[in-house]
Formats: sequence, C-alpha cells, structure tokens
Amino acid sequence: MQENENQMKKIYRNKHFKIVLKFGLFIFFLWMFDFSVGLFLSHCYQKQKSGLLYRATYSMDSTNADMLIFGASRANHHYVPSIFKKKLNLTCYNTGRDGETIFYNYAVLKSVLKRYSPKIVILDFSIKDFSNNEESYDRLAALLPYYESHPGIRPIVKLKSPFQKIKLISKIYPYNSLCFTMLIGSTNYNVTRDYINDDNGYIPLTDSFNQALYIDTTNINYQLDMNKINAYISFLKDCATSGVKIYVIVSPVCVKYLYQDKSIILAKRIAKKYNVVFYDYTNDPFYLNSNFLFADRGHLNENGAKIFTNQVINEISKNEYAIEKSTPSLSVK
Amino acid sequence: MLFTSITYFLFLIPSLVLYYLIPQKIRNYFLILISALFYIYVKVDYIFIILFIIICNYFLGIGIEKAKNETKQLLYFYLSLIINLGILIFFKYWNFLIINIFELAGYVNNAPVKQMPLLDLILPLGLSYYIFQTIGYITDVHRGSIKAERSIFRFALFTLFFPKLLVGPIERANHFLPQLKRMVVFRMENIIEGGKRIAWGLFKKLVVADRIAIYHTAVITSADHQSGATLFFASILYTFQIYADFSGYTDIALGTAKLFGYDLLENFRRPLFSKNISDFWRRWHISLSSWVNDYIFNPITLKHRNWGKWSLFYGLMISFIVIGIWHGAAWNYVLFGIIQALALMYEGLTKKIRKKFSKKINLRIYNPISILITFLFITFSLIIFQSNTLNDAINIITRIFTHHGDFFYDKPSTLLFMLIGCSFMMLYEFQEEWKIFPFSLFSNKSWVVQQLSYSLLLIYILIAGVFDGGQFIYFAF
Repeated sequence: MQENENQMKKIYRNKHFKIVLKFGLFIFFLWMFDFSVGLFLSHCYQKQKSGLLYRATYSMDSTNADMLIFGASRANHHYVPSIFKKKLNLTCYNTGRDGETIFYNYAVLKSVLKRYSPKIVILDFSIKDFSNNEESYDRLAALLPYYESHPGIRPIVKLKSPFQKIKLISKIYPYNSLCFTMLIGSTNYNVTRDYINDDNGYIPLTDSFNQALYIDTTNINYQLDMNKINAYISFLKDCATSGVKIYVIVSPVCVKYLYQDKSIILAKRIAKKYNVVFYDYTNDPFYLNSNFLFADRGHLNENGAKIFTNQVINEISKNEYAIEKSTPSLSVK
Repeated sequence: MLFTSITYFLFLIPSLVLYYLIPQKIRNYFLILISALFYIYVKVDYIFIILFIIICNYFLGIGIEKAKNETKQLLYFYLSLIINLGILIFFKYWNFLIINIFELAGYVNNAPVKQMPLLDLILPLGLSYYIFQTIGYITDVHRGSIKAERSIFRFALFTLFFPKLLVGPIERANHFLPQLKRMVVFRMENIIEGGKRIAWGLFKKLVVADRIAIYHTAVITSADHQSGATLFFASILYTFQIYADFSGYTDIALGTAKLFGYDLLENFRRPLFSKNISDFWRRWHISLSSWVNDYIFNPITLKHRNWGKWSLFYGLMISFIVIGIWHGAAWNYVLFGIIQALALMYEGLTKKIRKKFSKKINLRIYNPISILITFLFITFSLIIFQSNTLNDAINIITRIFTHHGDFFYDKPSTLLFMLIGCSFMMLYEFQEEWKIFPFSLFSNKSWVVQQLSYSLLLIYILIAGVFDGGQFIYFAF
C-alpha cells in the first residue's frame, strides 16, 4: 500500500516536472525566436537606403544640414531644400513626416542636438496641432526602433502608454508591422518608385486641385493636450539654448477660416514669450485665390511649394537682415 | 478592458496566481470579486444594473420553483421577463422605438413631430448577453428542466463570470451552474490548453481582424469614391474580419475560462466552410442561435404545429428578426434577420430538389460551389449588417455592380499582411475541418513541434499584429 502511494507520488512529481520543463522550453523557444528575429529586423531597419523609415533614421543619426525643416505632411511637401540651398547658401534637410505630431518632431530635434546645432530650424505648425487625440500617441510607434539607441527620446516614447517598457521587452515589437516596408526599403525597387524619390527629405506632390475654396465656419471646440504644449515649449527652449535660430510657420491651405484656431493662438503666444518668429499663412489671400497651387485642400503641389519656399526665404532674409546685418553664414543670393 | 490589451494580462496573471493559491472553498467568491472589479473597471455605474438583475432573478427563480399554483408561477415568470426585457429595451431600444413611433405618428397625422423624448443613454457593456442568459435560466426553471439555484453567490458568478461577461458566449444554466458546484483543482493541462486558445484568439483578433479593419474602414468611409471591385474586395474581407474578430474574442474568453478550470460553450465551428445557410447558423454564434432555437423557434412552431410548414416559416421569421434586432436598434439589423429567414425558407422549400441535384454532380465540385455560394450570400448580407443606414448598404451594393475604376489596395504591405493573415487562419481551419494534410503543426504528436509552432505563432503576432487596434465589433451589441 505504502509502496503504491510512493510510486503514485513519484509519477505525479515526474509529470509535473515534465510540464514545468516543457513550459521552460517554450519560454526559451519564444525568447530565442524573439531575440534572433528582432536582431534581424533591426539589421534590416538600419540597412535601408531609401524610403520613409530611412529618412527618419537619416534625420536623427546622419544629417548635418545647416537648416532643418520639422513638421508633419505639410512640412514635408511645402519646403524645398534645394531652393533654400540655392538662395540662402545653406544646406537643408526636410525631416517632415506624414501624420506625425510635435512629439515626433521634438524627438528628432533632441537626437539632432545631441550631435550638432543647425543654424536655422523651421517648425511647420498646423491648425488643431495641440488637440488631444489618441492617434497622436499611436503615431509615437514610429520612434520605437530608436528607443534602445537614443535614450534621450525615451520619455517621449513612454507618453504612448505606461506599459511601453513592458512591451519593449520584446525585440520584435519596435519593428511591428514594418517588416514588408523594411524589406522593400532595402531593395532597388524602392528607389525607382516616384513618390519615394525625395529632394533631401522633401517629397513633391504633383496633382492639381480643382475644387472651389472651402469656407470653414465650424470652430469646433476641442480639448488641448498639455503634453503637446509642453513638447512645443521644450522644442523652442532647446533650440534657444543650443543657439539655433527657430521660425514657426503655419503654411497655407486651400481653406478660409472664419475663426481663430485656439492652437494657433496659443502657439503664437508661446512663440512671442520665447522671442521666436511666428509666421501665419492661413487665410493668406494669395493662396486662397490660387487653388491650382494645391494638390489637395491641405497640401501645396510642387509649384505651390516652390513659390511658398521662396516666400519663406524672403521673410527669413528680411528678418535676419533686420536683426543682424552681419550674420556671416547667411548670404542671400 | 480589452482582452487584447496589456492591462488585461496584467489583471489576468496575478488573478490566476492568487486564484490557485487561495483555499479551494473561497475560489468562487474570489472569482465573483475579480469579475465585479473587471466590470467596474469598464464603468462603475454598470455594476448596479447587473447586481439588480442578479438579485431579482435569483429570488424570482426560487419563487417560480416554490410557487404552489400555476398562476403564481406564471406571475413570477412574467415579472422576471418584464424586468429583464424592460431593462434591455430601455437601454438598447428606447430611442429606436420612440423615433419610429413618433415618425409613424407624424406620417399618419401629416405633421412631423419636432420634439421627441429621446434619452442620452450608453448601453451597458454585455447587457444583451447577460440578459439573454438570465432569461434562459428563468425559462428553464419555469419549464422545470433545471432546479432554481439556491446559492446567491453561485448565481452571481453564473451571471458575472468575467470571461463571458462582455461578449458571451451566452451560457446555459444546465451547462455552467453544475461546473460552479464542483471544486476546481489546479491542472497544468488547463493552463496549457487555455494558453493555446488565447494565443489563437490573439492571432485572429490582432493579425487578421484589426489588420483588415484598417483597410476596410478606409474603403467604406470613402465608399462614394471607390470602384466596384474595391468595394467587393473590402466586403469579402469584412466577412473574414467579423469572423476573426468575434471568434478571436470567443477564443480568448474560452481560453481564460479554461485557465480558471471552467468550460464555456463553443460559439463557432468553422462557419466560413458552411455548405448552406442553415449549416451556417449551426456554426455561427452558436450560443445565440441555439438560444433562439430553444426559447423562441421551438415554442412558436410547437404552438402553431397545426399550420404545417407555415409554422416553420413563421417561427423562422420571428426568430431571425429577434437575432437581427438583438445586434442593434436599427432597421438594417432587422433586414439582415429577414434576409436570413427568407434564405432558410428557400432552403426548406428546395431541399428535395437540391438533394436530387447534388446526386447528379460529383461532390468534389458540388460542395466547394455550395460553400462559395453560401460565403457570397453571407458577404452580401453582411453589407447590410455593417452599414449605418439602409441607403449606405444599397449604395455599396449598387456601386459593386456598376462602378468600374482603379482597384485600391492601400500599400503593398497592407495587402500582404491581410492576405497572409487570412490564408493562415483559413488553412488552419481547413485542416481542422477536413484533416486533409497528414502533418499538423499545432496538434502534432511531438510536443517539440507543437511548442515550436506556438512560439512561431506568437512571434508572428508580434511581427504582424495591430497593437493599437480598436474595440471588438461585438462589444457594440
């Protein structure tokens, strides 16, 4: 009887030992796959030579341009670096990325300022840029591949969720949903695609907008996001402490606003407080009457971008001239 | 708390560890506590509604059983129905009823009503599920097929058990209450089985459903600018999306219940391989269709059995209108139900002809064609189901047949992710359905192969899952 009981206990113990062993092996397999696939994806990410992801890496790690453009899609499609170079004799790189917010821009700026200080920075600001919405935080996923290598941006990445650190235990997670984009980004095919071809980050839009001017009377009340406001303030402050001349510009749209947007009002007020030049092109009659300069309601096309870039250069030149005639590096052609 | 969120797993893992560490006798009380906390986390106010339903139905169930005469028994039974349906109608259908009554009155009087007594109510999550479950319990007690539960804690857990609280399955008292009476012991097999089920659920939801949702939403919200081919492709994908979304949720729910040592009802049996509509409804949302079958269809057909086949048709129509409107207070859901009922009537009427026809054709051709026709029928009826208004649905269907133009597929990576996810899910289901391949990865006899397969599944979820995805579609119902 006693022997039987002992034997049963032994079988029971063995069974549990086997289950624990199997579970341990499962975790090991999982860790091994995660680590090796994550390493491979990281390698592919760094190896890209073209495309959206490459431009982000280049902006953060490689550019040493005298002038940098920051912002979302409107920054990316409205400022032509080659014209800045020609007219101001300053090398320029456009770091603007579709759909991104001040969080992304500030993270890129922080990475840049760790390496060097550009001479001029333009931050493109848009209507409702301080609005509180979840999508802005989801967009922070674009910074995940840089979490390990750029400790300075970690507080910004963590804004996405308090659990971000747990998720980042996985080496694959930062590259989630990116594998096909990365694989394409490492091929020559990518370089041949028209919309990927860029002029120092700037991507021209070729369409022409035919629709009539839209008059916006909605003036929807929205909640302001303190994180975004703080990131904007830090952006201005960091530029100032690094001796970077900064311009905040609201570029034109094919919409006439019959109200004052509260994000723009606030951004203007903050800029004034920190002695930053702020240009607002919303409701500029020239653009409102020139829908052919737009690709869609919110974006200038290639011709529009050229005209606008020249206009910005004129404003910058005037401003620089007014402040300090003897700026040695800024020679307007 | 989404089943796919990290918050859920931070809630689940400590709860599970504590559950097996505490004495067996108090485990059910602990489950009630964490289920209540789970519901409170969603919204505090909701807990009062569910507590009210638990208390009322607990006492009314006992009242029905103890009643000395039939009149008293019926009184308790109807009182319970009034309370349950009253709450459901108030929260879910009040505005729908008021709008329709007032519009009808305005139409009759030829003077549209300007002010309607509409309420700004938020539907408590899971209400439709637990109300149906409770009605099932009360009906079973009234019929005498089960005994009324005497322990209020057990009855509370029957209603509150968190894995099934928000999106079902709609449990049956005779299936779940006996499980609550036995002691749960820790079994590693339950943990492994539950874990595997959760992994599949995560794959279906994050890799398939949420990935398609990005494309589908982009297409449907701009339907007026999309070509017929794009809308047709998006509609086909929606069938996969809604299946992956709901069955993925159910897999996580069943897996979670298994971790705690409980078995919930299966809700899906590979419905996308159905050969006809009746087969489809035996495989899709089984807990709802079998509930409607037992508590609506069977009583109706029994009551009107002297009508012959018309009793079946009548029963079908009522049952499917209930299934339709159960999904939401809108006419498109009613129409969805009516279409299903009509299809089933057609199948009933042509059963003999179809059987004769099938004998003349090789089954290897007949069966795939039947599956394809059923799939297309479901796809088109889901266009009505997913649209906000009937006009939207008509617009999409019209454009599918009339508008030629460019095919929109977003980015190549979107298309690749969607197709790989769908193919993988369907290949797995194909093997489960017909066991054609001699080699199976996930139920392989070698545990090493099994472990490797599940590890790779989780790795693929990390690579291709959508981690910032939205709610489960069936949360809305």
